[in-house]
Amino acid sequence: MSTPVLIIEHLRVDFPEVVAVNDLSLIVEAGDVCGLIGPNGAGKTTTMRAVSGLQECTRGSVKVGGHELAQEPEELKRRLGFMPDFCPVYDQLTATEFLDHFARAYDVPDRTKRIGQCLELTWLTEKRDALCEELSRGMKQRLVLAKTLLPDPQVLLLDEPASGLDPLGRIELRKLLLKLRDLGKTVLISSHILTELSGFCNKAAIMERGKLVMSGTIAELGQIMGRRQVSVKWRNAGDRAMQILKGAGVINLEATAQGATFEFDGDADALDGLLKTLVVEGVRVTEWRGRGDDLEQIFLQSGARELM
Amino acid sequence: MNLNVNPIFLTQKRLLYRAGVLAAILIAALLGLSLLSGLIAYLADPRDFDFHSPQEAGKIFYAWTIGVEILVLAMGGFSKISRVLADDRKAGLWDSNRLTPMKPAAIVTGYWLGSPLREAYMGAVLAGTGLAIVVLAKLPVTLWLGTQILVLSTTLFFGLLALLAGMAFQRPQSGIVLLLPVVLVQMFSFVFPKFIITNFVLPTYGIINLFRGPARAINDYDAIRDWSTWPEIFAQPVPPVLLSLGLQLVMGIFLWRAVVRKTTNPFQPLLLRWEATAIFALLAVVQHGLIWGIWHGRFPTAFASNNRFSELDSILSIVHGGTILVGVLILSFASPLPERVRVEALRIGSGNLQLVFSRSAVSLALALAAVAAAASLPHFILSSGQAWKAWALAVGNLFLFFMMFSLLLEYCRLRFKRRALGFVALWLFVLCLLPFVLAGVFSSEVIAKLSFLAPGTVALAGPDSDNLKYLFEWTGIHFVVVLLLFIEWRRQWRLLIAMPSSPTPGS
Repeated sequence: MSTPVLIIEHLRVDFPEVVAVNDLSLIVEAGDVCGLIGPNGAGKTTTMRAVSGLQECTRGSVKVGGHELAQEPEELKRRLGFMPDFCPVYDQLTATEFLDHFARAYDVPDRTKRIGQCLELTWLTEKRDALCEELSRGMKQRLVLAKTLLPDPQVLLLDEPASGLDPLGRIELRKLLLKLRDLGKTVLISSHILTELSGFCNKAAIMERGKLVMSGTIAELGQIMGRRQVSVKWRNAGDRAMQILKGAGVINLEATAQGATFEFDGDADALDGLLKTLVVEGVRVTEWRGRGDDLEQIFLQSGARELM
Repeated sequence: MNLNVNPIFLTQKRLLYRAGVLAAILIAALLGLSLLSGLIAYLADPRDFDFHSPQEAGKIFYAWTIGVEILVLAMGGFSKISRVLADDRKAGLWDSNRLTPMKPAAIVTGYWLGSPLREAYMGAVLAGTGLAIVVLAKLPVTLWLGTQILVLSTTLFFGLLALLAGMAFQRPQSGIVLLLPVVLVQMFSFVFPKFIITNFVLPTYGIINLFRGPARAINDYDAIRDWSTWPEIFAQPVPPVLLSLGLQLVMGIFLWRAVVRKTTNPFQPLLLRWEATAIFALLAVVQHGLIWGIWHGRFPTAFASNNRFSELDSILSIVHGGTILVGVLILSFASPLPERVRVEALRIGSGNLQLVFSRSAVSLALALAAVAAAASLPHFILSSGQAWKAWALAVGNLFLFFMMFSLLLEYCRLRFKRRALGFVALWLFVLCLLPFVLAGVFSSEVIAKLSFLAPGTVALAGPDSDNLKYLFEWTGIHFVVVLLLFIEWRRQWRLLIAMPSSPTPGS
């Protein structure tokens, strides 16, 4: 079992007349990439700020690598990298100078080498001597990420990293985040754009009105949600295929052009078995799409969409 | 911390060099050299000038240099620091720096000494030309040294004030609010230079005293407007330069603590209650120490017969007004935001008013009034009964004014939230200034005494029995106003503490 590196217990943050985060508990283990999902105003940014120590908590505790925020804030600062949803940069510094500022602040050993590594990791080596004000929004975002990575933190908190980025910037950022995942970084990433996190997170936590609605691995959440929505298309033997599906006890079966959609109660293995049966029975399946493990599906089924 | 490894200092230096510093240095050099060449021109051909000696000419040219230096360093530096800090806060860079393991003191130092580097270079150039003026005019080098030390200490002191302004206000220009009261009090302090503390917190007296040179024998009339002798604190002469440095150092320590605490945790109050009381006590005791020599504890009847210091009779009223101003400023900074108290009540699970009393500025108002009463008591110890009544009225007035202000401020914050400041200003106008306006309209002095500002200032300016009777009556009315405010204040706090939070944003 993996070691928990970020433990949030009973976190509560009060704003005037509003409880922004209410009794939130969450554990993120080493190597996890956990998506914090929720509509605007759900309390994702407040949670991130409270975990990083920028927002005062009313109650609760935050531990990173065994160090509690309230007791050892300095230790926590060394282990946590927080990237806000905007790009705080010194416009008149070059990318290298900007990173040098923070490398000094974090007391990073062998600064020049580390800055070079972080620039390379974020594909900014060519822009190392460009002024920050000359960088595009996406580049600034990557530069701030490079700054966050400088001290090699145990946990990365990324708050809406793709906000304000154009499609190309989003694609680049997604590639970069996948790279971080492959490097084994522990990441808590928030977003209300679900496709941004889909296929990237192995865990998700869904927030709604300041509360954690549910959390777990994507597969666990899919099971909690119960039914998976499946769409299938075939080239022949449509009647036979419909018979097999009816016989397998699928729910809400509806015929579509050259195919069908249905809901399925069983687990992933049972669903695989159903596909095998169709093929064995001579149905030429051209498309098979299960959407139960999809973040968007989980989110929509969680009921949080009512708030959007 | 070593500035050469302080990231914020180094970054500010980089930013300055990138923007260009040479133009500013050249401007300073041009100003300094213009003044220097004025002196050289006089020394070369004195007939074209009205000066009586090279020393006199040197003092005039050096005084201008000092004036420009103060403008550049203290005022320019204040503006730069507060602007840089407010901008960095807005851009999120302040938080980015706070998230690093840098010590809060290092962050503060970086902004304090790094932001005004351009002004520092300009100041250094002006100081250099100033030294040349002093040497050429054969003035004592101690004049240059003393004035430069005072300018430097004032610059550092204003720098700390600027940090406070940058942290307290969203808009950098709002920081000027901090300087307005200083300017206001400074206007009065020129009338009695040696007796008003503003001339020492700002080193006006120290600088002018250094220019004046050794003290000469003076008559009683000149003693009031004297800039040549040393000030006295409880009849003990103190070198004015030392007094200014001491006051700035002690206040600077409190300001430093405040900005470091705010950097560590922005949700903490700007001033702790004991710090607020200590700053107020320091200012009140030194101020009353400065004027102690006028009456030596026998205010005011002892000197009434020979009229020796009749011009100084109004000084206690001015000090009273200054005390109110300083108290109001301190109470504003120490007054908690209601929501912060509510969160604290939620945290400790206490729903009673005990917590409110311990956090509210109302209890601090009591402490400040007590401190002011103790500090002013020596003037009246050996005085007649009538003077005692004046003291009682002044103390009562301070107590009621501070209570009224702190209750009003918190009540308006509780009741009107974002519009609180406007309502506080409106009510302060109604309670303090409107009676004076109405008195002018109806030509009635009695109405003016209804103002919350009146009882103390009137009683201290000239205690006669008719006046005192009226003033006691009006003080009674003020007490009722404060009582009503207190009842409403308590009700509003109860409502806030008992209010459950909405479970969701906007629900």
